[in-house]
This record gives sequence, C-alpha cells and structure tokens, in this order.
Amino acid sequence: MATIELRDVTKDFGGVQVIHGANLSVQDNEFVVFVGPSGCGKSTLLRLLSGLEELSSGEIYIDGERIDHLPPARRGLAMVFQSYALYPHMNVLQNMSYALKVAKKSKQEIEEKVHAAAEILQLTELLDRKPKALSGGQRQRVAIGRAIVRDPSVFLFDEPLSNLDAKLRVQMRLELTNLHKQLQSTMIYVTHDQVEAMTMADKIVVMRAGNIEQVGPPLELFNKPANKFVAGFIGSPAMNFFHGQVVGVNNATYEVKLENGAQFTFTAQNSNLAEGDEVDLGVRPEDLQPGTGGHGTMAGTATAVERLGAQTYVYLRSPIEESMIIHHAGDLDVQSGEQIDVSFDLKSCHLFGPDEQRIEFEG
Amino acid sequence: MANVIKKPGDLGSWLMHIFLGANAVIMLYPILMMALSSFKTNKEIFTSPFSLPRSFSLDNFAVIWSQTNVPRYFINSTIVTGLSVLVLLVVGTMAAYALSRYKFKGNIMISLFFLSGLMLPLRLAIIPLFIQLKALGLVDNLLGLICIYTAMSLPATVFIMTGFLRSLPSELEDSARMDGASEFRIMVEIMVPLITPAMVIAGIYNAVPIWNDFFFPLIFIQSPEWKTLAQGLTAFFGEYSVNYGVLYAGLTLAALPIMLVFIVQSRRFIAGMTAGAIK
Amino acid sequence: MAQLTKSIKTPFDNAVVRRRQMRKLWLAFLLFPAMAILLTFVFLPMASAIWYSVYEWDGLVRGEFIGLGNFQEVLFDPRNNKFLINAFFNNVKVFIALMVFQNGLALILALFLAREPKGYRFYQIAFFLPVILSTVIIGFQWKLFLNPIFGLVNTLLRNVGLGDWAVPWLGLPETALGAMILVNAWHWVGFPTLVFLAAIHRIPKDLIEAARLDGASEWMIARDIIWPLMAPAVTIIVVLTFIGSFNWFEIPYIMGGLEGSPSYSTDMLGLLFYRTAFGSVSAGNSDFGTGSALAVLIFIFIFTFSTIATRYLTSREVELS
Ligand SMILES: Nc1ncnc2c1ncn2[C@@H]1O[C@H](COP(=O)(O)OP(=O)(O)OP(=O)(O)O)[C@@H](O)[C@H]1O
Ligand SMILES: [Mg+2]
Repeated sequence: MATIELRDVTKDFGGVQVIHGANLSVQDNEFVVFVGPSGCGKSTLLRLLSGLEELSSGEIYIDGERIDHLPPARRGLAMVFQSYALYPHMNVLQNMSYALKVAKKSKQEIEEKVHAAAEILQLTELLDRKPKALSGGQRQRVAIGRAIVRDPSVFLFDEPLSNLDAKLRVQMRLELTNLHKQLQSTMIYVTHDQVEAMTMADKIVVMRAGNIEQVGPPLELFNKPANKFVAGFIGSPAMNFFHGQVVGVNNATYEVKLENGAQFTFTAQNSNLAEGDEVDLGVRPEDLQPGTGGHGTMAGTATAVERLGAQTYVYLRSPIEESMIIHHAGDLDVQSGEQIDVSFDLKSCHLFGPDEQRIEFEG
Repeated sequence: MANVIKKPGDLGSWLMHIFLGANAVIMLYPILMMALSSFKTNKEIFTSPFSLPRSFSLDNFAVIWSQTNVPRYFINSTIVTGLSVLVLLVVGTMAAYALSRYKFKGNIMISLFFLSGLMLPLRLAIIPLFIQLKALGLVDNLLGLICIYTAMSLPATVFIMTGFLRSLPSELEDSARMDGASEFRIMVEIMVPLITPAMVIAGIYNAVPIWNDFFFPLIFIQSPEWKTLAQGLTAFFGEYSVNYGVLYAGLTLAALPIMLVFIVQSRRFIAGMTAGAIK
Repeated sequence: MAQLTKSIKTPFDNAVVRRRQMRKLWLAFLLFPAMAILLTFVFLPMASAIWYSVYEWDGLVRGEFIGLGNFQEVLFDPRNNKFLINAFFNNVKVFIALMVFQNGLALILALFLAREPKGYRFYQIAFFLPVILSTVIIGFQWKLFLNPIFGLVNTLLRNVGLGDWAVPWLGLPETALGAMILVNAWHWVGFPTLVFLAAIHRIPKDLIEAARLDGASEWMIARDIIWPLMAPAVTIIVVLTFIGSFNWFEIPYIMGGLEGSPSYSTDMLGLLFYRTAFGSVSAGNSDFGTGSALAVLIFIFIFTFSTIATRYLTSREVELS
C-alpha cells in the first residue's frame, strides 16, 4: 500500500553509468513489471529501490517520503530473489521468522505472522524442512513467505519464476496474481517472459541500456509503442520492420516508398517529416495477410512454415533479403520454398521516423 | 570419484598391486614396530626385536606418566595449538570476510599484503623475532609461541577462507540485509555457519604443523614446564637415552592422539593438509 | 552525470555519510587484528633481519653500522665460507634426491592410485599416515631403528644374511645424508602423492577416454595427457620441495646433531644459520650480525629461485577450460 516515485535516479559502477536518470511513478496497489534486454539495468534499478545499492544521484520517495538514505530494512520493502536466497542452514520456519527475529518482535507475534503466511502459501506442512529438502516451487513459496511476514508496503521480485519449469511457472504466475489481489500491496516485478509481463502487469516499464523507454499498460504498449525499440520488444513473434524513404510531401500528406518496392501514402498532422527522410514501417506478424490487396503488397519466398492447425507461421525472405514472419489464424497451405505475396493494411501498421519515434498517422 | 584409468591386463595389474602393497608395508610397518616395542623391556628389544611383546604391559607408559614431564608437554602443546588455531580462525575469517565480501578501495592492496606473507619464511627472521619477543617478555612463554604461530599461519588461512567465502552467493547476504540484519549479524548468523566445513579444513591445515613444530619452541622455550610435546621429546630422549622401551613408549604416546584422529577423520585430514597445494 | 562530490549537505546526505563511515569502521574492525598480528610478528621481523644484517652485534646489543661487513664475513671469510659451501651443496643434494626419490615415487603411486584399485582408501590413509606425525617423532624413531647394534634395520639385514650391509648408517659420512633423505622421503611421500592424485582426478574423464579410443597405450596416456594436465600440481610440489630442502632443519638436527655429524656430512644451511646466530662449538659465540646476513642471503636465494621456477613451470601449464 504505497506509492513510489523515482526522480532522476542515476547509478554508476566505477565510473560507468548504467542507469541514466530514471523517472518513474508507481501508484498504490499497482503491479508494475520491468522488462528489457539482458544487462539493461532492471536488477540495478530494483536494487537501488531496495537500498542494496546506493544511488549515485537522484531521489526516491515512498508515500511521498524520501527514503533513499535509509538502510534496506527500514524502507518497508521486501525482495524475492531469482535464486530464492533461502538460508540453507535454517529450516522454513526459521527462514520465514528471521526478519521478525532481527526486528525483535515478540515470540507470539512471530508465531502468528509466520503461520498466517504459511497458511496463505500452503507451507504449514513444511515448516521444519531445510531448503535442500524442498522442490523448486516450494522454495519459491518460502521466499515469498519470507517477504510476506514482514508486511511490506512494496514487494520487489527479480525474475522470481525463471528457475522453475514451464508448468510450475504458469501455476506460480496465477498464484502471484492472486496474492497481489489478496495482499493489496504494490509490486514491482522483473521478468524476461513476455507472457508474464502482459498478463500480470497493470503497468509495464520497458528499459533499454539504462534508460526507461516507455511506461504504460500492457495493451497500450502493444498497440501504441512509443518507438521502434518498444515495438520490436513487446509482442511475440516480434514485429516486422520494413525500411523506406519519404519520396513525396504534400501538406500533411506523405508518400513513402519501401525498399522492397511497396509504396503508400498517409496523412500525419503533427509530423515534420521531409522528403528523403528514412522511415520504418512496422507490421505485426498477425497483421500481414497472405495475398495481394490492402495498402501495399510485398513478395517473399517461404523459408520455413510451421502449420499448427489453428494457426500458421510462415517465415519469408523477400528479394532484397528482408526477413519477415506471418502469423495466420487458421491453416494456410504454403510449402517451404514457395513464393507468395503478402499485403498489409495501413490501419494496423506502425510508423517510426528517422529518430525511431512513433509517428501518428492516418492511412 | 572418477575411475580415471581402466584396469589394464593381468600382469600390469599384479605388478601394481605388489608395488602399492609393498609401499603400504614400508609405510605402516615401522609405525607398528614403534608401537609394539613400547610394550617391551630393554632386554626384549635386544633379544627379540621383531616378535610380538611377551605381554602388553604398560610399565613403560607408567614410567612416562609418573616420572617424566611428557604429560605436562602434552598439556602445553594442547594449549598452544588450541589457542593458536582458535585465534587464527577467528581473526583469519574476519579478514577473509572483509576481503571476499566487500568492494572497497585498497582491497587488492590488502589482499596482496596477505598474499606476500605466504612467501616469507619466518624461520629466517628468527633473530629479530627473538629480540622482539624478549622485549615484550614473551620468551619462555607459551603466549609468545601462540603469537608466532598465529602470525605465521594467518596468510594461508586468509587465503583458504577467502576462497571459500567468495563461493557463497551474494543474494544470501542481500536477502539478510533486506531482513534487517546488521553486517555483523549477517557474518555471524548467515555466512559463517555456511563455511564451517572450510573452517575445519583450515583448522586442520594449521593445527597439524603447529602441534608438530619443534623449531620455534627450540628457540623460544627453555623452562621444562613450558616445553611443548615435540620439543620435550628431545629432552626426554636425552634423559632416557638407554631405556629403549620407555623411548618407544614416549614416541608412541606422542603419535597416538593425532593418529587416532587422523584415522577417524582421514578424508578431512587429507583435504585439510593438502588444502594449500591444491587449487 | 553522477555528483560524487556534493557541495550542499542535506540531512539525507548526512545519513548516507554516516552509513559510509560505519561501513569503514566495520571493515577496519574486520581487517585490523589480522593485519596488526601479521605486521608485528612477520613483516616487522623480516624487515628487521635486513636492518640487523648491516650492524655489528654484541650479544643482544646492537653495535656499529658496518655496511656489508657481515655479508663479506659470511661469504668470503675462509673460516666461514667453507661451512657455507659445504652446507649449500648438501642442501642441493637433498633437493635433487627428494625430487627423484620422494616425488618420483609419489608420481608412480599417484598414477597407480588413480586407477582406484582395491584398497584405494586404505592405501591413501597408509601413505599419508607418516605425514601427520611430527618430524621429531619420525627422526627419533628412525634413529632408534638405525642404531648400528640393535636397531631394527641392521638386525633385519643380519637376519636375511646381508650382515655385511649392516653398517652404522648414521655414523658414516658416506651413508648418513642418504639415510636421512630416505627417512624424509618416508615421512613426506604421502603428501605429493595425494596432491598429484587430486590433480589427476581433476582431469576430465572424457579426455582420457578419447585418447584410449584413439588407441593410445596406458603409458602414452600417462605421458601425453595426464602429465601435461597435472602441471599445476607439479609446479607446486617442485616449489614446495625446493623451499623445504633449503630450509631443511629438523631431521638433520635430530638425527645428526647441530654440527651435521659425522664430520659435517649432514650439515645444512639451516643448521649453519642456527649455529651462527645462537652460537656453538664450531661457530663460537652467538653472532646476530653474521646470522642475519646469512638469513638474508638464504632468503634471497630461495625467493629468487622459487620465483624463477614458478615462472618457468607455470609457463608449461595448460588451461583446462
Ligand atoms: N556490481 C556491479 N558492478 C559493476 N557493474 C555492474 C554491477 N551490477 C551490474 N552491473 C552492470 O550494470 C548493467 C546492468 O546490470 P543489471 O544486472 O541491472 O541488468 P539486468 O537488466 O538485470 O540484466 P538481466 O536481465 O541479465 O538480469 C550491466 O551492464 C552490468 O554489467
Ligand atoms: Mg537482472
């Protein structure tokens, strides 16, 4: 139950800056997911928030109070680590009560809280086991339990499910979502998994190389990616990009010729594109239609075809060596090596200017 | 453990067994003879050196117990070894903990400082050490030996412990920090319990040479009441130079405790004593 | 960019500064005892040894500065340097003999043990048993065994009809050093054996199996695969043997006495140093000046050669990735 605010947060390690001035607000009870390529600074940002790393500059507020000078335990946060980080020499009960013991809580209070948390997470049977004697999912639950007993206002998760197998992951994902509803607390969650990000998040934060690229609800990021990076990062399989050039400008109407030959016009009110500017057209695989028509048609040779019955993926290579993917709902009778035409409808396309920023346009 | 080399043909295999067996006999037989001779009288040792003792009489041991200083030496050795190893493990683990778990300016310099201590043979500095300990009133004093042994063994201990401490995941430490534990508590309650096997290894690595050392007591201890076992044996040998049964009994008594511990804990001993030489 | 030096101190900065100070204090608390002990009882005496070696000494009292006078006395005074040369070459003999007999035997034992024959654990324990015993025990034990008249060794020789061989081993200049070297080898052989064994076990099994599939003989596998890949262990053992040989003291002291009897055939640098520093029949009164000079020389020698040896031997090591 807390709001979080980061203001101009930077971090450098031995002179190398890895977070370049992050600004972010998180609302009370929000489930925020950090995504981004490996090494972009997700864990670092989480650790700055938790107090495990010191800020190089900037400020952090929780519930309007500045907390970046406080040691980790006094920030009212709890963190769950990827490797669970359970104390190997303590049993589940001791693991879960350690924080309370350190805080000199009464025996009775410790008992109550631990048992309540164990109840929620179905750990009651396991309280006297050592971590070694637990399965991956159970360990993960203990790690979460250890966080819960402290009644934190914010939960931080750093890729908590990535060590679990696929089936367990789905299950834990649902459990975590339920837990969030039940506890009514703010959660920040780092993941590499698109599905986790899209399904769990109230708000996704996309990071690249130490910068926050875009913040928004999952579908907003999917439908209106702010730039080419976010467009390519969110959605699976990734968006197809076609490189082209502005060849004609007439008031707010622009004509673009793609390198593969397709040509189209659109209007954009607030754009300062000029003739000769390089642009990228982004088309999601599900928005590429087999056959001709729409606002443009391109040709390609199928290099691989995956026919799953209910859906079909076709991997194409165009004459100018662009690769693209089509995702077709339903079966599509295409053979590898076959040459086919694909077309797009501008309404479902995305356009990015020379600075890779999104251009709002009408087809 | 991996069976690295396949069992070769019969002849080679036989030769190997004979070689290993013969070597084992050569290693064990003298120790057995020492132990057996300790039950014999002088006369028996002369007339039937290789046979079993006529009776397992404890007369020779009784002489040692009641008429020599060997029990006293034994106590002194226990005190010196015990305290040295205790101080070493505490102080060495503390330093290793700082060097392995924290990034700070000077970390590399201090690591090198300890590392360079590994290469200094303290025996060659015995003269200044003598003068120094004399000034501190630590000559002919068990405390002096404890200081020397602790200092001498610190670099290796720091080195071994640093290696083990580095291998602990930092997320454990982070997690304890999130739980609100102080740095001291993290060290004592979370990290150190996880390296107790390493401490046993480091303890053995140091305890055995300290227990067995003879050089430093030779120079620093004169009074019979402060002599250590290894050193005391030389005095004892001078005194009983013609009573061979008693001499063998003294040797056996001196060797017995450490041999028993070794046989029970051979794996740890071997790991411990070779710890410095295996990367 | 990061503001590493903030000019305006806010309460927040102060809290951070306090925490950094606490951290420094904590690190100092962890490091100080070990560093203080090491400085006082190792580094200070080592440095003093150099310092002392350039002074005249009268007992425990430091006299005049005499530059390299002590070194000159150790190295070039004919009364001293004949002892020095004799002792030095004895140490060299010890090193070579231990390399061949002790470490050579250890290598063979390790290669055999690596096959994990029946009794593998037993052999390990048996070979290592003497290693844990004090040199004093070993020295006296073998002195008793080697007693010319009733020692077990000579009794055994006579019993098997080799009475002619039953010589006073420790009493003859030709045999005394050899006997002591064998005793040392007996004492220590388990150590290199198990270090080598650990190194062999660390070689990936696939490598050896691949070689065997290529049709290599056991001898070729040992020579071409195992030997090069156990190089780090060999480096360590060679260097340790070197240092041990040139610091050799206990065995000759106990079995031959301070004067390296018989007739200095078992004299060692360590004994010479002890006699020079603390006095003896041959070296006269205790002399801390020449003693320190000798210590410095021995240290420089050991340090130089072990560094060179480590460099050379390490260059032959292959990374196992
Ligand atoms: N303690 C540190 N010292 C120096 N550099 C660091 C440290 N921790 C992280 N970095 C660097 O900071 C950058 C961001 O690392 P971070 O761990 O935050 O990435 P990440 O987004 O969590 O990646 P991943 O998805 O792989 O977990 C990386 O370039 C990393 O090398
Ligand atoms: Mg990470």
